[in-house]
Amino acid sequence: MAKRLAIVSLFLVAALMLAACAAAPPAAEAPAEEAPMEEAAADMSGKVVIASGSMIRIGGSFALTGPIPDPGLNIRHGAELAVDDLNAMGGLEGFMFELVAEDGACDGTQGTNVGNKFAADETIVAVTGGTCSGETFGLVPILQEARIPFVSPSATNPDITSADCDVCNRVALSDALQGATDAAFVVSDLGITTVAVVHDNSDYGKGLAEIFQNNVMEMGGEVTGFEGVQVGDTDFRALLAKVGADGPQAIFFGGYSTEAGLIAQQMTETPGLEETAFMSVDGAYTKQYLEAAGDASEGTYISFVAGADSEEMNAEFDAKYMEKYGVSPDDLGPFHSQSYDSVKLLAAAIAAVASVDDSGNLVIDREELISAIRSVDAFEGLTGTIKCDSMGECGAGGVQIFQVMDGDFSQVSGFGME
Amino acid sequence: MTSSPVKAQAAGTDGRAALKQFTRALGVAIVLLVIWRVTTVGLAEGYPVSFWISQALNGLVLGGVYALVALGYTLVYGILFMINFAHGEVMMIGGITGFFALQFAQARGWMEGPWPVVVVALLLIMFVGMAASVVIGVTLERLAYRPLRQAPRLVPLISAIGASLFLQYSVLLIFGVSPHSYRKPALISGGLRLGDVFIPYTGAIIFVTSILLMLALFFIIQRTKLGRAMRAVAEDRSTASLMGVDVNAVIVVTFMLGSALAGAAGVMLGFHNTVVKFNSGFIPGLKAFTAAVLGGIGNIPGAMFGALILGLIEAIGPSALGIPTEYKDVIAFTLLVLILIFRPTGLFGEVLSEKKA
Repeated sequence: MAKRLAIVSLFLVAALMLAACAAAPPAAEAPAEEAPMEEAAADMSGKVVIASGSMIRIGGSFALTGPIPDPGLNIRHGAELAVDDLNAMGGLEGFMFELVAEDGACDGTQGTNVGNKFAADETIVAVTGGTCSGETFGLVPILQEARIPFVSPSATNPDITSADCDVCNRVALSDALQGATDAAFVVSDLGITTVAVVHDNSDYGKGLAEIFQNNVMEMGGEVTGFEGVQVGDTDFRALLAKVGADGPQAIFFGGYSTEAGLIAQQMTETPGLEETAFMSVDGAYTKQYLEAAGDASEGTYISFVAGADSEEMNAEFDAKYMEKYGVSPDDLGPFHSQSYDSVKLLAAAIAAVASVDDSGNLVIDREELISAIRSVDAFEGLTGTIKCDSMGECGAGGVQIFQVMDGDFSQVSGFGME
Repeated sequence: MTSSPVKAQAAGTDGRAALKQFTRALGVAIVLLVIWRVTTVGLAEGYPVSFWISQALNGLVLGGVYALVALGYTLVYGILFMINFAHGEVMMIGGITGFFALQFAQARGWMEGPWPVVVVALLLIMFVGMAASVVIGVTLERLAYRPLRQAPRLVPLISAIGASLFLQYSVLLIFGVSPHSYRKPALISGGLRLGDVFIPYTGAIIFVTSILLMLALFFIIQRTKLGRAMRAVAEDRSTASLMGVDVNAVIVVTFMLGSALAGAAGVMLGFHNTVVKFNSGFIPGLKAFTAAVLGGIGNIPGAMFGALILGLIEAIGPSALGIPTEYKDVIAFTLLVLILIFRPTGLFGEVLSEKKA
């Protein structure tokens, strides 16, 4: 009996682990079966027809739960404000915009669920998001199949856009740039030759850590260790002791705020790492990082993929944001301007292809919309002049590097300082 | 492929003995493989002794936390023969409540006061966390388990998993998804430096406190009237009831003890790792369950040693085996599988009578 119970328990543990990974009930199957029908309908017309009085529905995949809920909410707010502004200006031909927000949870499985939901809903014209790279990788194949174009405000993994995907676009800058800039800063500006690289096993964190590692090695630096943690871990002491045994001059972490903050904090408790420099990336460019790291954040470096912000437009945006949500946009996360621009960019592309038919319906051709996004040229957004290339890279701006001084980020190098 | 029909034939003729021999041989092979790997990696890497001491200390701290939570699993199993899968969440509730108690104390400036004030405040915070866990633990017993006491064994187990999810997502809805950060007072920030070994104060406190709490538990169970009643109920519930033991009261007390230990673990882990959120109890809960099974579920010293062994293996394992640290959970759960295959009653076996099993 004891043995049987033990075996049952083992299955339960396995089931719980699976449940933890899958987070949300896999509602994917039902929409997946419907999808071919939808697709057939879409293929016949290939058009979204919006009846007079209905809304132009834009889907949104935001990381409202998961490792970075505050930045996720911040990005959602940015998108909501963009929709408010579009509607305040009269919408499009009398049709109003509507944001259909879903929780992508910063996670590939949940991204897939959200993608299926949008694909099954033939009124969804376009999608903004996802927030995280892993989540966006979940969206990509489904939206590609359903011919729904998306613009991500913050997914930075280089492989989000590719020659194979014509619906994939982003306003954020690719990590190919961030990884190279960070490596150049560490090796050339800080004069550091030995670095340990740590990542959180997310598509975003690991991808960026690999790019950084390759760049450091190309520049003649030595990578003393390449180690992974899990998103949600809180005790990194064993890992840091192992990394510290090689005595690196710096530790680079690819991942999100909480883990970055805890690593910075626990480094001060690890023999051999007390004086080691710490650098992390845009996923940790948040107040949450400063809070989690506490005093240990002082002197650490964080890079960010910044837009070429227009001061005037941002001041107006910040005021509206404060009025609607009661907090300063920068308190929650860094990508609100990109999110605002993603929605405005989609709206501009929709405006370019939409037409009103004889019975007063708004008609949007999906294929035309997909190519219209790629031909956006000189769109003035909060993050600068946005111009999409043939791969779907629409971001303006560059990589900035910050150092934490007196409990706040202050820029020490990079875009805007050259 | 060729060997499998042969094996099947052997199993057919003399199944049990052959299988037993096979698993035994497999066990020896695995142990030898691990020893070989540890030796070669140890020689190749050449870490200093201080490194291994640091890692062992990390492991003991981890083990102390697992032990406090594992005791809750084992106590409840000993008496009710059910696995309270919501126990990790009971610990998380302790951590979350401790966070708000700490904020309350900070707002009143108790954390900047002279050291006796800080110590008293810290003890109070821990007490508040433990009290919250006790309330949740007892409520769980009353609402989720007691109505199912006569039901088949699997039913309360499923109820426990439901309770676990309920607690996680209630905390998520009430306190939000963002992690809460403990601010350590200056008194327990930093740590002790002994040569190349660093002992964080919070780590030392966890280890010492968990040992003290375990001794207190041991005293309660072995030396008090209440403990005798608990042991009697564990031995045979209906006979104990006939002898005048209030079984319901004993079960409630068992949940209280287990939950108080988990609440203490939650608060101390909050100070040590500084971050708590709605799902922070999940993985430690599973690990503590693993520890309880490792030591022999239902066996109190087994849970303590199982937890310390698991903590040590998790901290030292990746370095000793020369594999990436991200596989520490894999090591822990592989150990669980191996224990269940080779020693289903755990390292220390089940001390309880055969009757209940």
